[in-house]
Amino acid sequence: MIKSWRLKDIVLMSVLGVVFGFIYLGFFGVGKVLVAILTPFGFGPIGYELIYGIWFIVSIIAAYIIRKPGVAFTAETIAAITEVLVGSTSGPTLILSGMVQGLGAEIAFALTKWKNYQPRILVFSGVSAAFISFPYHFFVSGFHAYESWLIMTMFVIRLLSGAIIAGYLGKMLADQLAKTGVLNGYPIGKEVIARHEKSSTNF
Amino acid sequence: MIHSLNPTMKAITVILPAILLSFSFDIITPAIMFIYILILTFFFSKLNIKKWLFYFIPMSFFALGLAWMTMLYTDDKYATGPIVFSFFSFDIRMGSIIVSMSLALRSLCFIGLSLLFAFTTDPTKFMLSLMQQVRLSPKLTYGILAGYRFVPTFKHELDLLKKAHRIRGLGRAKGWRNRVEHMRQYFIPLLAGAIRKAERVAIAMESKGFTGSKDRTYYTVMKIKATDYLFIIIMLIILIIAYYVSYRLGTLNIFGHRIMP
Amino acid sequence: MKNHQPIFELDSFSFSFDKHDEPSVNNVSCKLYAEEVTLLLGASGSGKSTLTLCLNGLYPEAIDGFTSGDLLYKGRNISSYPKGVINQEIGIVFQDPESQFCMVRVEDELAFVLENLSIPRCQMKQRIEHVLDIVGLSQYMKHNIHHLSGGQKQKVALASILLMDPQYLILDEPTANLDPISSLEFIETIIKIQKQQRFGLLVIEHEIDDWEPYAHRLVALNNKGELLLDSTPKEGFQNHLHKLTKNRIRVPKRYENRKMPIRPSSEKESTEVIVNLKDIQFNYKNKQILNELSFSIKKGDFCAIVGENGAGKSTLLQLIAKLIKPVSGSIDFLNTPLSNWHENELYKNMGYVFQNPEHQFINQTVYDEVCFGIKLRGYSRVETERMAHHLLTDFDLLSDKWKNPFSLSGGQKRKLSVATMLHSKPDLLLFDEPTFGQDAYTTSQFMRIVTHLNDKGVTIVFVTHDMDLVDSYCNNVLVMQQGKIVYDGTPKALWRKTELLEKARLRIPYRLRLINEEMTI
Repeated sequence: MIKSWRLKDIVLMSVLGVVFGFIYLGFFGVGKVLVAILTPFGFGPIGYELIYGIWFIVSIIAAYIIRKPGVAFTAETIAAITEVLVGSTSGPTLILSGMVQGLGAEIAFALTKWKNYQPRILVFSGVSAAFISFPYHFFVSGFHAYESWLIMTMFVIRLLSGAIIAGYLGKMLADQLAKTGVLNGYPIGKEVIARHEKSSTNF
Repeated sequence: MIHSLNPTMKAITVILPAILLSFSFDIITPAIMFIYILILTFFFSKLNIKKWLFYFIPMSFFALGLAWMTMLYTDDKYATGPIVFSFFSFDIRMGSIIVSMSLALRSLCFIGLSLLFAFTTDPTKFMLSLMQQVRLSPKLTYGILAGYRFVPTFKHELDLLKKAHRIRGLGRAKGWRNRVEHMRQYFIPLLAGAIRKAERVAIAMESKGFTGSKDRTYYTVMKIKATDYLFIIIMLIILIIAYYVSYRLGTLNIFGHRIMP
Repeated sequence: MKNHQPIFELDSFSFSFDKHDEPSVNNVSCKLYAEEVTLLLGASGSGKSTLTLCLNGLYPEAIDGFTSGDLLYKGRNISSYPKGVINQEIGIVFQDPESQFCMVRVEDELAFVLENLSIPRCQMKQRIEHVLDIVGLSQYMKHNIHHLSGGQKQKVALASILLMDPQYLILDEPTANLDPISSLEFIETIIKIQKQQRFGLLVIEHEIDDWEPYAHRLVALNNKGELLLDSTPKEGFQNHLHKLTKNRIRVPKRYENRKMPIRPSSEKESTEVIVNLKDIQFNYKNKQILNELSFSIKKGDFCAIVGENGAGKSTLLQLIAKLIKPVSGSIDFLNTPLSNWHENELYKNMGYVFQNPEHQFINQTVYDEVCFGIKLRGYSRVETERMAHHLLTDFDLLSDKWKNPFSLSGGQKRKLSVATMLHSKPDLLLFDEPTFGQDAYTTSQFMRIVTHLNDKGVTIVFVTHDMDLVDSYCNNVLVMQQGKIVYDGTPKALWRKTELLEKARLRIPYRLRLINEEMTI
């Protein structure tokens, strides 16, 4: 698997991890604000679930750009390792949760034998990441102590967040990035160029 | 000293109790672990206490916030015992208070262990150790390190982006759509630059004869010493003691099941 | 020297990034010899860097590119060598000092190279110390690379290449991002080593004045990636000057028949002050960056801020733009203290162009980028469209109207970043190293725009390392050294202060170097 990746693919996954490390920090703040807003209405724990998808976005962006087996899993793991290197206060357990989330995202692409990177597969990948990551957090964060209706609500919201933030937003950001031309050396960039040429021959 | 431990072994020693602690829903078990973690932090590592508090205090507020949430939404399995107080429409029972304090202490253990690792580990050595001890492929190891090296550059770029946006008259974002748009405006230039750099550094590394092959010598040799095993064993022993003490005291609670001696 | 066997032999060699693309290197046939210093010339985008990566064996494999024709290394086809072998014999020092390393510390970066070669551990330390001694960085072995200056970083890059004992060394614009003195030091270091170790050298640079005396050969590419010229430097620059300049290739200044235009500066001397700084002090992370700075800039000035890296030039520019606040002292803009200016109002009257134009792009098309500022000033749609059209025409960006700003060429990006500052006729424009890393053609194009703005009454203040620009365009120059202004006056008078120039690590412009040379002969 690693043999089929070029060095620049790996460094790309790593810099994605670094950049999103910064963005995640920002989202921690957003999460806190959401929790504070929702608490008086009795929906505090849902605050983080609303934006949970952001934590899977690296998988989807990297897989959509590089389009090779194992990229979704590795990108999320590398992102987690990079965050630990940068001094994330979540520590090495973050690597473990990164692996779990990455595995979840990878499943969607594996089911299409890594051939299909259409929007619905990307959205599905966000959902599968959410689906797999929830039991892990259920265990580690002691969701067991919550009332069941709350757990179900959290689960559904996490799935939606995975679909919208990781899947849809991830695709949108990667598309915009491809338009700048910096991804021309990757499958996504080649697709953009091909589409562009096609549309210009039509005129 | 914790600084000189092998980073991979240290990571395992930190992850293990974090997982094994997840079974307990009582106060005594995480409390004993937390005391041990504090002892490690203050007496066996040379970290700057001020800096440690700077990170620990805000994060522990977060842990307390979560505990408060748990208290309000405790499942019937745990919400036992007499009602201690009422808050709006919520009746808080003794059982809810115990389980929320347990979860809060568990978070504090996570935070303590994570900070212990983060403050006593050299990132480069951690990666080298993953390569030498866990056989992580050199291609991944050095690829990750190459990305990590850009951290100070990105901090600088982020600062410049903020300034440049101000000059363009881009005010504070209001509303969801604008926030997303705002994120895009940071994300695109930051990542466009990062991707170009990633490509350049990969080329530069390969032009220095790097092929990603495992057949290479090491300048910094990372070893696992007896103290590394000792560290992990003591950690596990303390964990067992913690569970045992709680068991003897009759407080042990595994996933809602009280386990009495 | 030519009876030797060539180290590289290209025979109708072409390379393209994609099957359907126009080739970047197009049907090139030439020979390169070890022990020769060869200059490889061509405008931006002529395929020079691509060619060097082919010589180094990284392309086409690293990016799945396509080649045709033959490229022989020591008589054998380059693709027949096993992976990694050629890389180790052909070293490259690249342009960007920020993206050549994968390790944090100097020592580890150099060890990385030795590990790639599977050198036994016991020899490493001694080799690292030796090579650092050669490039003059002995005391920096344990330092963090990020904390080194650009010139030092390039020397670390050079050291890591030297560790491989290369037979041939390729320099891909290694001094483009360095200040003039660091650049000269780098060139002198490398020539000294080349004379001792006698490896072949292939040099790509936009400013080749300092290299030209050492060169034996000259190879030039046109903008289609085809071979334009293959000759001795003397013959090339004397007999084919027109051919080179027509292809936007900068020739050494002593062959240039065109003199740099010197703008008459004294006649429009005004007394009206636009920016006034008094007793400015600025600290960063408890370190004093600027200390007791006082000066003023007059309306209509074309003013340069010069000095070595780290002297506080960019800090000063950001202070004037209210992007950072001084610890003490006061700054007035148009006779009103900066603190009294409302940000919106301030940036209507003052523009700032960052070193990297991309930092200023916030929209998805060139057109929207230009419209953004105009709309913000509350113009109607019709008016916005009219003004945007006008700006795009002025800046020759009309054909790129619907392109993504990031996909423009370096020169176009620079133009766009200036255009975005002109939505409401500003009185003052600040530029942070606007010509840094740009080739001669884009620099002169850019200076034409700025001069035009200055003629219309806009005050220009720019940070630069290029003394030739200062000499030909500015009527005023501020020299900074360790957070202080050590000179404030005309460029002409500055060039006479030899001692001050040396202290501030500045090089006099080429025009005067030539006169000095002639005098010593």
